Amino acid sequence: MNLSFCVRWPQPIASGANNGGHRKAETGKLVRRLPVSCRVANRQSANPMSRTNIIALLIFGAILGYFLSFGPETTQNFKAGVYRLLAPFLTGGSGIKKQITSVRSGLKSLDELEHENAALNVENRELRATNKGLRDVEHEVNRLRHALNYRERSMFKLVAAEVIARDSSSWWRTLTINRGKRDAIETDMPVVTDVGLVGKTTTVSDTISVVLLISDENCRIAASVEGSREQGIVSGERVTGGLTPLLDLNFLSKQADLKPGQKVYTSGVGGVFPSGLLIGAVKIFRVRELDGQAQLTPAVELSHLEDVFVVTGRR
Amino acid sequence: MIFFLLLLGLVLVAQIAEVFIPALPWFYNAHVCIVPVIVFYGAMALPFPLMLALALFAGVLLDALTVQVIGGKVEISAGSSILLYGVLAGIMHGLRPLFARGRWEVHCILSGVFTSSIVLAQYLMITFRRGSLVFNREIWWQIGGPGLIAMAIAPIFFWGLQWLGQMTAYSYGPERGHAE
Repeated sequence: MNLSFCVRWPQPIASGANNGGHRKAETGKLVRRLPVSCRVANRQSANPMSRTNIIALLIFGAILGYFLSFGPETTQNFKAGVYRLLAPFLTGGSGIKKQITSVRSGLKSLDELEHENAALNVENRELRATNKGLRDVEHEVNRLRHALNYRERSMFKLVAAEVIARDSSSWWRTLTINRGKRDAIETDMPVVTDVGLVGKTTTVSDTISVVLLISDENCRIAASVEGSREQGIVSGERVTGGLTPLLDLNFLSKQADLKPGQKVYTSGVGGVFPSGLLIGAVKIFRVRELDGQAQLTPAVELSHLEDVFVVTGRR
Repeated sequence: MIFFLLLLGLVLVAQIAEVFIPALPWFYNAHVCIVPVIVFYGAMALPFPLMLALALFAGVLLDALTVQVIGGKVEISAGSSILLYGVLAGIMHGLRPLFARGRWEVHCILSGVFTSSIVLAQYLMITFRRGSLVFNREIWWQIGGPGLIAMAIAPIFFWGLQWLGQMTAYSYGPERGHAE
């Protein structure tokens, strides 16, 4: 790989005696001769602040200052505006990603079929492929039927949404869904599945929204423990090493003595999350100096979500 | 100018692509960061004003797509990514003469180091807001992982971008007003 675009090194000088790309400087030492563009680039690095550069730096500083002066509301509006602009790309990107995944799984199936059924004729292969396609459709129908049943029997008004992207940064656990203000979604609305709580909406644009997952350190949920009077605050951990994140249930009494498997529900305190939504199950309980703390396994498998529901109100 | 516009477009595409590239579970959930590699290449290839414009664009996108406003509080102010990109790209721009001599190894390594610096700066900012400064193995990997990945992919991207520059007949020479 040759990234040397500027210099053909060493290079003979154009005029004077050809001494293999070198010339004698005043000091008598041999000095390598650079082409004009690089000599100028080097000189420029020695004196980089031309008038144009200073003006550019001032404009950059002014724009930077403008952005740094944003308050929370302005930042929220700015984010929503950018999401509005990028919504077609994000939705389109989600579709492309699904197609790529589908093609990849299709190729894998063909590969397996080749190895396992080398002796079978073309007709058999076609039939198997058709069967596989039908099974995929059946799986999807079952999944959607399941979701629809939950929507119909739920006591909440739910808006179904599809996950189009997840965890786009290192320090926040988020999802992006394909529903926004046009679907009556607002900031701080709970997001659930038929299994349990997923998180709450944060940034909402016209057609897409960002969901802060319960596994994020900033998503705090008032919770109560099944079969006890214990109440506490659930929050995620700052960094998760594995695929399955764990949640912390803090501010329990030291005498709580929770057992693994006990279920934890939203208590309804705080106003964002209605009571009775399953958050997860106790994994470990430990007593700390001032209080008790439990680690929970989330009820919902957050890393494999495809469809969610946004709770827009009660029926 | 065409090359600059292409770099802007690539930054936009890369930023959107990053949203769809999942974190690597076998690498402590480290994220793949492509945008910094493109920005730092631009820092070496573009003149100073265009380098600032590229850093500004990348910073605005990063702020808009990653920074979260939760409960009426902003953990990382909008604009901080612009500042980070501006400063780091400025340092990279200072090493432009070295790149002009065909030495790109240092820049590949620096692309990785600077990518990790951006993630580290974000972590320090959120830690300042949330409290309890924690540095465990997972956090170090979350910070160092993207840098190592950036370092590994940088030669491929540099090669591709240089090819793109040649295709658009972009001159890597001096800035306007300085030519002999």
